[in-house]
Amino acid sequence: MNPLHSNSAFVRSLTRTLATLPAYQTGAALADAPPAFTEVGVRYSHYSEDDIDASSVIFGATSRYDIDITQLWIEAPVGASWSVALDVQNDYQTGASPWFVGTDQNGQPGVIMSGASIQDNRVEVGVATRYFWADGNAGLNVSHSDEDDYEALSMAFDASWNTAGNTRTWTTSVSNSRDKVNPTQGVIPVFVTNEALDTQSGYFGVSQILSRTAIVRVGLNYTYSDGYLSDPYKLNDQRPQSHERIALSTGYRHFLIDANASVQFDYRYYADSWGVDSHTVELGWAQHFERTTLTPYFRYYSQREADFFQVVADLNEPHFADDYRLSSYGAMTVGARWAINLGDWTLEIEGERYWSDANWGLYDGDPAPALVDFWRGTIAIMWRFD
Amino acid sequence: MGGPATVVITPPSGRSAQTAPLLDKLQSLLRTLERRYSRYLADSLISTINTRAGSGDFTRLDLESETLLEVADQLWHSSGGLFDITSGVLRKAWRFDATHIPVDVSQLASLQDKVGWEKVERTAQGIHLPVKGMEIDLGGLVKEYAADCAVSLLRDHGVTSGLIELAGDVATIGCQPSGAPWQVGIRAPQGGDPLGGIALSSAAAATSGNYARTLRFKGRTYGHLLNPHTGWPVEGPTSVTVIGENCLSAGAVSTIACLQSPQAAMTWLSDAGLPWLMIDREAVCSGPLAAEMGLSLT
Repeated sequence: MNPLHSNSAFVRSLTRTLATLPAYQTGAALADAPPAFTEVGVRYSHYSEDDIDASSVIFGATSRYDIDITQLWIEAPVGASWSVALDVQNDYQTGASPWFVGTDQNGQPGVIMSGASIQDNRVEVGVATRYFWADGNAGLNVSHSDEDDYEALSMAFDASWNTAGNTRTWTTSVSNSRDKVNPTQGVIPVFVTNEALDTQSGYFGVSQILSRTAIVRVGLNYTYSDGYLSDPYKLNDQRPQSHERIALSTGYRHFLIDANASVQFDYRYYADSWGVDSHTVELGWAQHFERTTLTPYFRYYSQREADFFQVVADLNEPHFADDYRLSSYGAMTVGARWAINLGDWTLEIEGERYWSDANWGLYDGDPAPALVDFWRGTIAIMWRFD
Repeated sequence: MGGPATVVITPPSGRSAQTAPLLDKLQSLLRTLERRYSRYLADSLISTINTRAGSGDFTRLDLESETLLEVADQLWHSSGGLFDITSGVLRKAWRFDATHIPVDVSQLASLQDKVGWEKVERTAQGIHLPVKGMEIDLGGLVKEYAADCAVSLLRDHGVTSGLIELAGDVATIGCQPSGAPWQVGIRAPQGGDPLGGIALSSAAAATSGNYARTLRFKGRTYGHLLNPHTGWPVEGPTSVTVIGENCLSAGAVSTIACLQSPQAAMTWLSDAGLPWLMIDREAVCSGPLAAEMGLSLT
């Protein structure tokens, strides 16, 4: 054990304060190290989709999905160089979703909804361990997700290391997931049993401290999936058996000393083998107060439709889908995060509102009638102790 | 910063020609910190803040000065108000270099109105001292901070073996070129030979003492550290040395120890969890470093 590593609350708190100064951002004192504390956290999110416009519905309920997400986690240091973590998440979703898009007596497209009695519960358990050395750390994460109709086992490895006097951090990760799809028969007929899906993903990125007040990050992600990729709960959904995705993500943070705030800018470009590509831009302002940080943010998203998307699916094509998530549209999100530090306790509250509209996008395409708007609220409490 | 400085470095291999420019940079760094934080220089940030006391004008702070004041705030809270960077004005009532009537008690009472970190206004606009004549003094932190900055500068220039001493506070980089840890002598409060040496590698040792300036008043000897609550000198340990990962943390722990009674200081030092040596007013040594150095223990 390092005899200079103090567990006293005073020294730890002082170390945290000093960490903002460049003189304390290099060297052994702030080298990568396991967390000094055990952290226990609980997070609850509620996601609620607005009712679909009745004029867009040919048949069925107008209410849509509500999802309750509860997450519990614990992360603890083990010895001088390791940490372990356990993460359990439960999602409970209920409501209705679009089953397919048809045409009404006037020839106008409209949605046939699934009925409002869908209920599903998903439980995911993840365990992770991480090893720390002077200039970096590496972690292994295994998780298992189970619900009535879907089971997934995934494994991920990631590593990050610092160079250039700890001003540059390189990060890489690879992951693999094996999923089994066994849709349940419910209020809508399902014609799929025992399907499988394998997914591999890799990421490589770098972040660079540009100055005492600025940091930039860029990363590239590639994901390949092979297997059953259609949505079994949609009537007219037959997607290709493989899906390649690539995403370039960038971020910039600038600390404004006088304002005691950070400007946050993120951009992500995404393209896939189905013809979808998208741009996401997010602007945030993190205002720091004595014990709290309030971060309002705005996000804009624009997507080009998949090659096989049609408002009303053409079943004569080899691949087809009428899923609004594959259409051309634009979306805006307005939200705010509020983090409150109360000594060993941290409280985080977040709320956001999302609107989507076919006319807000950068790309042409026929408007899907079931585009979604939703609210999402999250509250989390974390406790750190020795 | 009103004290001697010693720097010992082994230049990075093949870069001995860069030693002189590096030492120039180091000197420039220390001068910059002095110009910003010295209360003796009329155009320093600290003097600006002090001059504006009671005027209603706030002084803007940057990340560094804001952080150092945040550290001062933490020390004030953790010491129950004994560490108070506004307490310097109390010195005006005490004459540690005088041989007669060392304290002007009447002045002490009026000076205490100008003391109290809790009175200081800190907002997004900066800092303002609300009472005319109020002063802050970061001298208790800046010397240690300067040592840490010096270490950071030298490390950034590839130095892997070095020692900086700023008026008794020591920060080291790595070991000596031979591979042996740096040996730092602990001064005996009564003078004479050092009490012994402590081994440091990539660590810092800070010493806070109450013996450098003393006075005798009504038959008792008082050190120069003053209790901001009473205005009178504290009757704490004579000297406390603490080893830490950086000089500022070590100095913070040792300074707060010196402001308390010897008994409370021992509890504080044990709770801080860093190696320490305390010498009390009877010159008795205690703490893990005393045991390591083979000194007499309580």
